[in-house]
Amino acid sequence: MASPVGLELFHQIEQFYFREARLFNEKRYREWLESMVDREVYYWLPIFEERYRADRKPPPEFPPAIYDDNYKDLEERIERFETNLIWMEDPPSRIRHLITNLEVYHAANADELETFSNFLVCRNRREHEQTLMIGGREDRLRRHPDGWRLLRRKINVPQRVIMDTNLYYFI
Amino acid sequence: MSIEVGKLLDHRNGIQKKRIFWDEELYRLEMERIFARSWLFLTHESEIPKPGDFFCTYMGEDAVIVTRTRSGEIRAYLNTCTHRGNQLCQAEAGNTRSFTCSYHGWSFDLEGKLAAVPLEADAYHNLLDKDRLGLPRVPKVESFGGFIFGCFDPDAPSLRDYLGEMAWYLETFTARAGVELLGPPLKSVLHCNWKVPTENFICDSYHVGWTHAAALKVMGGPLAAMSGNTQAPPGIGIQVSTRHGHGFGVIWEAASALHRQPDYEEFLRAKQPEVAALLGEMRGKLYRAHWDAGIFPNCSFLYGTNIWKMWHPRGPHECEVWSWTLVEKDMPADLKRKIQKEALRTFGTAGTFESDDGVNMHGCTYTNAGPHARRGEMVSVMGIDHDSTHPELPGFVNDANYSEIAMRGFYRFYAELAEARDWNEIIARTHTVARNGGNSNGAPQTATPRP
Ligand code: FES
Ligand SMILES: [Fe+2]
Repeated sequence: MASPVGLELFHQIEQFYFREARLFNEKRYREWLESMVDREVYYWLPIFEERYRADRKPPPEFPPAIYDDNYKDLEERIERFETNLIWMEDPPSRIRHLITNLEVYHAANADELETFSNFLVCRNRREHEQTLMIGGREDRLRRHPDGWRLLRRKINVPQRVIMDTNLYYFI
Repeated sequence: MSIEVGKLLDHRNGIQKKRIFWDEELYRLEMERIFARSWLFLTHESEIPKPGDFFCTYMGEDAVIVTRTRSGEIRAYLNTCTHRGNQLCQAEAGNTRSFTCSYHGWSFDLEGKLAAVPLEADAYHNLLDKDRLGLPRVPKVESFGGFIFGCFDPDAPSLRDYLGEMAWYLETFTARAGVELLGPPLKSVLHCNWKVPTENFICDSYHVGWTHAAALKVMGGPLAAMSGNTQAPPGIGIQVSTRHGHGFGVIWEAASALHRQPDYEEFLRAKQPEVAALLGEMRGKLYRAHWDAGIFPNCSFLYGTNIWKMWHPRGPHECEVWSWTLVEKDMPADLKRKIQKEALRTFGTAGTFESDDGVNMHGCTYTNAGPHARRGEMVSVMGIDHDSTHPELPGFVNDANYSEIAMRGFYRFYAELAEARDWNEIIARTHTVARNGGNSNGAPQTATPRP
């Protein structure tokens, strides 16, 4: 296992995630992308299959994903928000991210870190629509002159059948 | 039957009562009359290629196991143990030699036979008649173009005849090299009646420019002008309604419109002459068109965007959507991968288009909680005076971009199926276009023989 980072760096990274959550909550997606995301980012939310433990069928050759995004893909999703033509967001919905269980480790590459964290996202819309999503993230961060940036994110959502009408929000 | 379905639906005037999206009693009738009589999509042969492969799905609200037996035959069983009725298979897919119940351990082989009973001598004195306790089989399971369908009604016509004229159209992409579905499917819950997304996919080109204004604008390219309905889509399209409630809408030359890279378009252009040589010029043209389509009752797809969907009903006010990617077998692996990415990016659970639809579908369902709203009516009159037939195309055709002809056809067949005594009564009927006359007798006359 890679070695955990010291207290000061841990604190920096924790602040990184709290800031990211705040930008998501305030829907400042463009700012998130431009100040916290590496150009080579891979943002991934794969799905899984409920199989028996002893099952021998090979995994799919083309595994489907809910997010399979590079920087440009993320940017186009953000542009979609910026059109102000998304009727479900008008009036706007409310969203809140809680980030917990943070672990930060040195990666083999000295300019990178590996982290694990859990999230709870609460979305509320119109009068009564509220959904909660709990899951985990496995990230790789890369050092930039102005701070750390997201290089890879794998999002683990434990729901096989997503209990929300869509997952069009960043985690 | 206490509900008179004919009073809820008037296809000649394009009217439906709003309560069709809400009523509990109607929903129960649908389970008995629509879902128990129709051919329902189960999975694709490419999902269960080997003996012992299985895939669990639903026919209406009945859980079923679809499996390939040792001899390679495809069968479907109710996913319920014949001992005390526990859910037999609890994985969604895989490969197995048998299905063993988690309650008392009864084990069924791929042929559905009860193969092993724990402590058979001690508990049953070896008197248990195992031959009578096999899994209940779905009586009809057939494939078309590799798409496996099942039907609970032994009197239903063959799958080929049920698809009828629609089969002629489906051959456009199934007949040349064959297709496969890339699974496992994405699955998510929608808070709406199952008919709302179904009627949307079968004909609703009208909502695209408005509901999906944001995604269209960001996408750029030939369809961007549709955003906010500032302009009708470039080129002209048609809307088609076929016998047995199937239908689709077409935008010519737009198959690859939602793909951001050119290689899919290049593939289509390269293969179009083969399709035309095999199936004629008209289907060659359809091969490069974009379709939004529905196979009655609850299977939908977008050809071109290449998403394949099932809307599984979960009570009158909820359904579950399952989404696969559709690709042609002889596409290079890299192209399949790109098509999957674009299909799920636009019409997956976080789809740039799909995410716009859910809230409208929720709204169309839940406003009917109020008894006054529920007593009201909805209209599907768009293009009703232009419904006609076409010299080269089977079914009823409305030669326009925007028309609700396929929605009218969907509800016409829905009412027929709900009210008919049995399939023989349905098969005996002839169909006319709502107002303009013209006949269509369904599949046998118009479907082209397989190459
Ligand atoms: S209920 Fe399945 S073995 Fe008893
Ligand atoms: Fe839509």
